[in-house]
Amino acid sequence: MKLHLPPRVSPRTFDAMLTAAAGVVGKDWVMASDADRDAYSDVYAPGSPEEWPASAAIAPASVEEVRAIVRLANEHKTPLWPVARGKNLGYGTAAPRMAGSIVLDLGRMNRILELDAKLAYCVVEPGVGFFDLYEAVQREKLPLWLSVPGNAWGSVLGNALEHGIGYTSYGLHARNLCGIEAVLPDGDLVRTGMGAMTGNPAWHLFPMSYGPTFDLAFSQSNLGIVTKAGVWMQPAPESSLELVFDIPAAEDIGWVIDTIAPLKISGLIDQNVFVPSWLGKMVLKGQRKDFWDKPTAIPEARVQELLKEHKLGYWQVALRLYGEEGVVKAKADVVKAAMKRNLAAPPEEHWWHPGDYIHGVEITMGVPSAVPLQMSDWIGGRGAHMGFSPVVPATGKHVLDQMHRSRKIIADFDVDFYASFTIGGRFANNVNMLMYDRDNAAEVAKMRRLFDTLITETAKAGYAEYRTHLGWMDPVMDTFDFNGHALRRFGEKVKNALDPNGVVAPGKQGIWPAAYADQRGGKA
Amino acid sequence: MKRFVFAAAMLTCAASVAALPPGPPPGPPPPYQMRPVAPAGDRLKPGGDGKTLFEVHCGYCHLTGGMGTNLLTKQRMMMGETPDKGLLANRTDLTADYVKSVVRMGKGAMPGQTKVDVTDVELDAVARYLGKAG
Repeated sequence: MKLHLPPRVSPRTFDAMLTAAAGVVGKDWVMASDADRDAYSDVYAPGSPEEWPASAAIAPASVEEVRAIVRLANEHKTPLWPVARGKNLGYGTAAPRMAGSIVLDLGRMNRILELDAKLAYCVVEPGVGFFDLYEAVQREKLPLWLSVPGNAWGSVLGNALEHGIGYTSYGLHARNLCGIEAVLPDGDLVRTGMGAMTGNPAWHLFPMSYGPTFDLAFSQSNLGIVTKAGVWMQPAPESSLELVFDIPAAEDIGWVIDTIAPLKISGLIDQNVFVPSWLGKMVLKGQRKDFWDKPTAIPEARVQELLKEHKLGYWQVALRLYGEEGVVKAKADVVKAAMKRNLAAPPEEHWWHPGDYIHGVEITMGVPSAVPLQMSDWIGGRGAHMGFSPVVPATGKHVLDQMHRSRKIIADFDVDFYASFTIGGRFANNVNMLMYDRDNAAEVAKMRRLFDTLITETAKAGYAEYRTHLGWMDPVMDTFDFNGHALRRFGEKVKNALDPNGVVAPGKQGIWPAAYADQRGGKA
Repeated sequence: MKRFVFAAAMLTCAASVAALPPGPPPGPPPPYQMRPVAPAGDRLKPGGDGKTLFEVHCGYCHLTGGMGTNLLTKQRMMMGETPDKGLLANRTDLTADYVKSVVRMGKGAMPGQTKVDVTDVELDAVARYLGKAG
C-alpha cells in the first residue's frame, strides 16, 4: 500500500518521527514499507483497505518505550493507533480510523505477569493472546478457566477493551478487567484502583478507585494506552453440564429469551447464553454454494428444507451450567422445567467431570480456537465479514421486535439472515453477521448500504450498537443523540484536555480531538 | 485422528465424495493442540528452529484441528490428495519462497502476517522447515 501521510505532516517530519522512533525501539521494529502497510490494513475491509490506511507501524517492547513513542508523537504531531495484537477481525483488524495514523503495535509486550489460582486472576500485557494464557494455565496445571471470544486469535486485553463477549460465566470481558496501567496522551503513566498506591497487593482484586473510577474509560477509548491490566478468571468447576435444546421456529426466540433471561438475572444461570440461528451451524458444514447456488438470499422454503435435512432447529440453545455436581443437577432441573413449558422435546445432556475429554473448539469451556472463523469460507474468496451488533433489553418483546426489523431489512437487500443473540443478563447482544465477497464491488456497495440502513432504522427504533467497524464509528456515535450528543461532547472535552495534540487514536469510536476535528466523518 | 480415518474412508469411494457436501466429518473435534514455548531471546537473531517457530507462530490455525488445517484438508481432498496433506507440516510441494509470500501477503481468508506476528528471520526458519520442495 502506498504511503498516506497523517494530516498536515510533511514527509520530512514523518521521516524524522520514524528515525526518532527507531532510536527507541530499534530500526527493525519500525515498519514502513508498502508490504508493512498492507500487513496492517483491514484485510476484511468492506471496500478498499486504502480507506483506512496506516502510514507505518511501531512496535515497542516495554512501558518505557511506549511512553517515549507517545512523547515523540506529540513532538512530531504524528497520531498513533494503538492495537494489542491487531486481530479485531470484522471491525477493522489493525487498521486505524484516521488515514496516515501510525499503528502502535503492542504485540511484543506479551508477558504474563501474574497468574494466581487462589484468587483466580491474572495480570497480563496487551500482547498476550488467549492461546498464550490458556497454555500457561495448562502448563502450570492451574485450576483456572478462561472466557474466550468466538475467534480467539487475538489479545485477552484487546478483546476486553473492545467490549468483546465470551460464552462462560465470565463472558462480559470488560467486566473482568480490574486494575489498569495506562500511558496517557502526554506520556504520563497512571494506575487505577488500588494500584494508585505503590505496591498495593489489592490492585487487581478490588474493582474501584478511591474517587472516580476510570478503568472502563480506557475501553473503546482514545484517552490512553493500556499497558497492563488485571483480568479475573473463572475457577475450574468441579463439574459441568451442557443442555442442548433445538428450537424449531424463528419466532420461538421470544419465549426462549423470556425463559432464560430471568434465570440468568436471578443467578441460577451463570453463563452468557449464546443462541445462534441455524446458519451458525451450516457455515461449518460446507460452503454456501453447496446448499444454495444462486447469489440471491436463500429463500424460506429452502431454509426449511435444510433444517429438515440437517436435523437443525432454527435456533440452538447450548446452555452450560458449572459447579458442584449436586448444584448443577438442581439447576438443570429448574432450567429443564422452565424450557418444558414451551418445548416438549427434552434437551441432549452432556456431563463433564475433571479428566473428561474437552475438544478443541469448546468455547463454553474457555478453550481458545480460531475455528469459528471458518465461517468466512461460507462465501469463499477472502472471507470478508462484518457484524451489525445492536444491544436490546432481554425480553421476548424487544428481541422479537429487533429480529423482525433486521430480518426484513436484510431480506429487502436480498441477503441471508444470520443472527445470534447472546443473553448477558438484563440485555441481549444481537449480532447480525454479514458475509460477502470482497472482490465483488457491487456486493460490497450493497453491504455498505445495508449496514447504513440497519444503523439508521435500528436507531429510529431506539436501539444502538455496542461495537462497530472503523467505517461506521462516526455514524454509530451520531445515534447517541441525547441532549445534543452530550456523551460525545463530554468525551471530546476530556479528550482535548488530556490530548491537546490529538495523538492517541483520533476518531476512535467517533471521539475526535480538536486537532483533527476536520477529519470527522471523512474518508481517505 | 478419528476424523482422518473417516476422511480416508470417504476418499476410497469417489462417488460418495462427489455426492456429499465437503463438510467436516462427524464426531468431536480433536483436542486443543499445545504449542511449544516460544524461544526466549532476540527474535531478530537468525538460526531458530523452524519446526518450533512454525508451531508457535502458525499453530493458532495450522496444527491438527486448526482453522487453516480444516480448510486446507477440504481443499486438498477435493484435489484428490490424502487428508493428512491439510497439515502444512506434511506437505512436500511447498517452496520456501511460496511460504514467505503467503505469510506476508495472505491467501484466501488468511490475513498477511506482520513482522510482530513473525519476524523476517523467524519466517526464514519457518520457510526452510515447510519448504520441502526447495
